[in-house]
Amino acid sequence: MLGKLIKYEWQATWKLLVPVNLLTLVTSFFTWITWRLDVKGSLAMDMAAVMILLTYVLSLFMVLIGSAVYLVWHFYTSTYLDQGYLLHTLPVDKHHIIIAKVLVSTIWIIISMFLIYVSLFLVFDSDFKDWGFWVFEVLRSIATEAYSDVGSMFTAAMGIIALIVGMFARVLKVTACISLGQLSADHKLLTSFGFFFAVQIIQQILNTIYQVAILSIINRTGEFTYDTMWEYSLITGLIYVVVFYLITWYMMEKKLNLD
Amino acid sequence: MIPIVQCRGLTKTYGGKLALNQIYLNLERGRIIGLLGPNGSGKTTLIKLMNGLLRPTSGEILINGLEPGIETKRRIAYLPERTYLQPGMKVMEIVNYFRDFYPDFQVERAYDMLARLQIQPYERLKNLSKGTKEKVQLILVMSRNADLYVLDEPIAGVDPAARDYILHTIVANYNRNASVLLSTHLIADVENILDEVVFIRQGNIVLQAGTEQIRRNEGKSVDRFFREVFAC
Repeated sequence: MLGKLIKYEWQATWKLLVPVNLLTLVTSFFTWITWRLDVKGSLAMDMAAVMILLTYVLSLFMVLIGSAVYLVWHFYTSTYLDQGYLLHTLPVDKHHIIIAKVLVSTIWIIISMFLIYVSLFLVFDSDFKDWGFWVFEVLRSIATEAYSDVGSMFTAAMGIIALIVGMFARVLKVTACISLGQLSADHKLLTSFGFFFAVQIIQQILNTIYQVAILSIINRTGEFTYDTMWEYSLITGLIYVVVFYLITWYMMEKKLNLD
Repeated sequence: MIPIVQCRGLTKTYGGKLALNQIYLNLERGRIIGLLGPNGSGKTTLIKLMNGLLRPTSGEILINGLEPGIETKRRIAYLPERTYLQPGMKVMEIVNYFRDFYPDFQVERAYDMLARLQIQPYERLKNLSKGTKEKVQLILVMSRNADLYVLDEPIAGVDPAARDYILHTIVANYNRNASVLLSTHLIADVENILDEVVFIRQGNIVLQAGTEQIRRNEGKSVDRFFREVFAC
């Protein structure tokens, strides 16, 4: 049944998210052409180039934020509004429902982010370094080292795993908070937002404590290495995945309360 | 055989508000049962509890002797009072969806009923009228060979001709060994197909009796009797 749930979850989301993600490629292509033509000279052409660049940047934001908002809304409507009446009367395990929804949402976010990164590389190419996007610098240096150093390759692999686990944790945070919102009799959506901000604050506090601890270690030893940064991300990511998953499951299994 | 539905001291509260109060109820197999009561009497709450969409505050509800779960959902065909299908899906996609998830779903029966109503399989649900959407949902539910059909207000909000069609569809298609639980407050329309009625008021079962028994003992129709029992 899990396979069928994933299939229908994919079908329910691709109709909107495929065109949205194609937008990234289309705007990237036009921006890339403008960048390569080097049309500077006349004011009109400069204005056109700036407009295309602006549209490009806005479309990237739209794709990332729009996809995330749509996925949140899709989860809420298909799980706890009218469509939930069908979902929760299917003869399927609640674990399978959660896995299908979270897996498809996370895959969509990874696709969107991947397309955006590819797009940025294509558009700005080698000039990109000058823009100061440290993420790409780090990724590039890791990739370079990875070919010559097994240890770095391991670090890079673990960093990517930690990144993916973190994405699952973020998606599950949303499902958990929406599910907790169902505890409210009258203001379910508002309560969901309340839980989300509360969880966000708790996570910020935990991160701050970790950073203070790391700084104190650096001050004491004078040493710091990026090699083990993934450990913290991976461990906290896994903890968040487990906690948010269990909350979502508990609310669906034991506290379901469809209006 | 054990009753298809058993409620033992079933209570449901929303916040501090009592929706169902210590209900004891058995529903037998092979009968069409009317769950009758005014708006807000607890009909939909009881139905949601049967389908596992709500959890009891106390007491228990058993379907085929089991608490609501995956096994009971395989055996219940449920029609809620609202449109629960994705509006962007085509009718044929929805049929496939039911075929994929319910082993007892009869695809041919569904297409046969759709054809008789001239509903095109490639139509998207969002392009259909409200009444046609309700008919599609009913067709999907009645195309299953379930042990219990739970129909929540299936004739509310549709014209008299559509009501006749819906009632005919229910009677013509339900599995004869199964029970049909039909919730409504439009008693005159359904009275003739009911074997038994359950009257519910403010979360309490006030009567469970055969329709013939009511007509014989009270000397009036179930509709007339209902109006007297629930007179404001």
